[in-house]
Amino acid sequence: MIETPTARLAFEDFGPAIPPRPAFGRWLAGTIAGWTAFVAFLLFISWLLLAIAALFARLGPIGAAVGNIVGLILILVMVTATLLTMADRKWSALMQDRVGPNRARLSIIPGLRNRPLKGIPHVLADVLKMLFKEDFIPEGAMNNKVLFNLAPLLAFAPAFMLFAIVPVSPEVTFLGQRIQLQVARVDWGILYVFALASLAVFATALAGWTSDNKLALLGGLRASAQLISYEVTLGLTLVGAFIAFGTLRLEEMARLQGMLGPALRSAVVLAARAGDFLVRDDSVLFGWLPSWGFVYQPIGMILFLVAAQAEIKRAPFDTPEGESEIIGYFLEYSGLKSGLFLIAEYAETVVVAGIVTTIFLGGYHLPFIEPTVVRHFDFAWLSVFQVFAFIVKMLFIIWVMFVVRWAFPRFRYDQIMRLGWKMMLPISLFNVALTAGIFLWAGREGLAWMGGIEWLAIIAFVALSARAPRAEEAPHASH
Amino acid sequence: MPRTDLSPGERLYLREAVRGMGVLARHFWKNLFGFRDPAPEVMERKGRGVNLVSTINYPEERKEYPPGYRGMHRLVPRLDGKPRCVACYMCATACPAQCIYIEAGEYEEEAIEKYPVRFEIDELRCIVCGFCVEACPKDAIRMDTGTHAPAVLSRPLAVFDKESLLRGPAVEHSTDVLTYRVPLKTPPR
Ligand code: SF4
Ligand code: SF4
Repeated sequence: MIETPTARLAFEDFGPAIPPRPAFGRWLAGTIAGWTAFVAFLLFISWLLLAIAALFARLGPIGAAVGNIVGLILILVMVTATLLTMADRKWSALMQDRVGPNRARLSIIPGLRNRPLKGIPHVLADVLKMLFKEDFIPEGAMNNKVLFNLAPLLAFAPAFMLFAIVPVSPEVTFLGQRIQLQVARVDWGILYVFALASLAVFATALAGWTSDNKLALLGGLRASAQLISYEVTLGLTLVGAFIAFGTLRLEEMARLQGMLGPALRSAVVLAARAGDFLVRDDSVLFGWLPSWGFVYQPIGMILFLVAAQAEIKRAPFDTPEGESEIIGYFLEYSGLKSGLFLIAEYAETVVVAGIVTTIFLGGYHLPFIEPTVVRHFDFAWLSVFQVFAFIVKMLFIIWVMFVVRWAFPRFRYDQIMRLGWKMMLPISLFNVALTAGIFLWAGREGLAWMGGIEWLAIIAFVALSARAPRAEEAPHASH
Repeated sequence: MPRTDLSPGERLYLREAVRGMGVLARHFWKNLFGFRDPAPEVMERKGRGVNLVSTINYPEERKEYPPGYRGMHRLVPRLDGKPRCVACYMCATACPAQCIYIEAGEYEEEAIEKYPVRFEIDELRCIVCGFCVEACPKDAIRMDTGTHAPAVLSRPLAVFDKESLLRGPAVEHSTDVLTYRVPLKTPPR
């Protein structure tokens, strides 16, 4: 190792120099083991959520609700949101060819000495830091102390309450209890989301106003305007889905995107009698397409994702925060209160991903293999796999949102308004009218055809739209 | 008055936006699943399934500095281990940061009589310009250690004295005519 005299001097000073090592074998083993462990962990979490719900369900209907709150909101949303704070940094690092934060280490635990653990110790470090920061209230906010302290709570609480209506599993008998992983089964379903999501406006407006800071006020104003404008689009994009599924209830929507319980049961019985290994999934459209929401509502799905991104104030719609220009409406908050604002953003991401999954990606349904799973395991195992599928789809949507967040530069305020009012609102209105017309004319089958054509049109539109001039041919870029 | 010379199709930015997301996604999966290529230069990592992360995890992994790197100073020793330095103050004079402190002394029975009793460099003040190396007439100070000044916990620790500076391989030039090897015997009185 030490060949040259100078290398020896360097060795004396700093110990051995270790160049990056070829690590193919270690990499292969690590990758396989890591992904196996990850899938096993997700399956275990799925089982755990169902088990918790079943355990609490023994205590009666109230107990079932509490069990779901513990399982879904405290475990699923809270843990995912916490890990997302890390995932955001780690994933962005991967997208930008960096390593990402990896210096926090749990060196006090013997086996974990000097292991970055994918940066997860940073979550602990962040929480500790926020806990021990001074809880600072600026002088100007002293008169409005109550409102000042209320703002982070108003940001935080709705984000978590939103998940209450997202169904993570179908109704199923698990460990002898009839349960469904959904906190509230309410008639008004998705309207609850719109109602609670608009509460976030109060948080930003209050935070901006009571902070007694010009930049915070600017952030609050921008946030209020943006949230209110995009709420319109957010609502309208889902109207098409209401028409397609004929209901506002998310659990109904999710149920309708796969085989219904009785049909599943009878199909399995028939297949068992015939001795078939595979059981045909009758909900599949045209023989190969899962009848998920994205087939019926392509425009609705894309617009909803964009509007939701604006609604939760993530880049490219992050003018309310705009770290590099105004710090944002939470400028004057410190410690745990600032942490609440930040974690609320990630919780909202989880919620949006959950809603998109439920409405557009088939919710908890597995594509094609559901009846076969029932035939070879049983309904309880199917529900474990379904929860697993839900979590995977949710993670995928979150990933897409993060890619969008890192791909686009921040929109200017007027661009946001123009996009919201002049482009997305008319398109979503058009989508509502088109969906309603086709549905009246040709039913859901017709909607599926419309969806297919729309997907093709979208792809063609993107492919045929002019590419931006490259740097060398751009007339104004070279001097 | 048009605010841009892009055509409406270009101003949609749709295709470029989708392409940009594609680029990010490609890098993401490549870096997530790719293994670490041992080639230290990132631009040389071209193979399939190789990740593009260019970071060198510093304290655990270190690259050797390039040959021309101006690193920590060292006082070059002679073959007998004493410093080549003759305490001529050239380096201290040339130093723009004035971070070299020398106290001259005298050997009793050597041809080269002058030597530094104290030779200190304040590495915190040093701006690593290398003027001292250029100024030295005796090739007695060099910056070829290939290391940088280590981090210290208090300012006095950054002042390196003669003992810690005097290290590394000894140097001898054929032009060292009146060397210490021909000791000038003082004739007996
Ligand atoms: S490198 Fe420059 S600043 Fe440092 S000791 Fe030498 S002359 Fe002075
Ligand atoms: S210039 Fe060279 S010989 Fe003169 S004092 Fe500095 S190190 Fe010593």
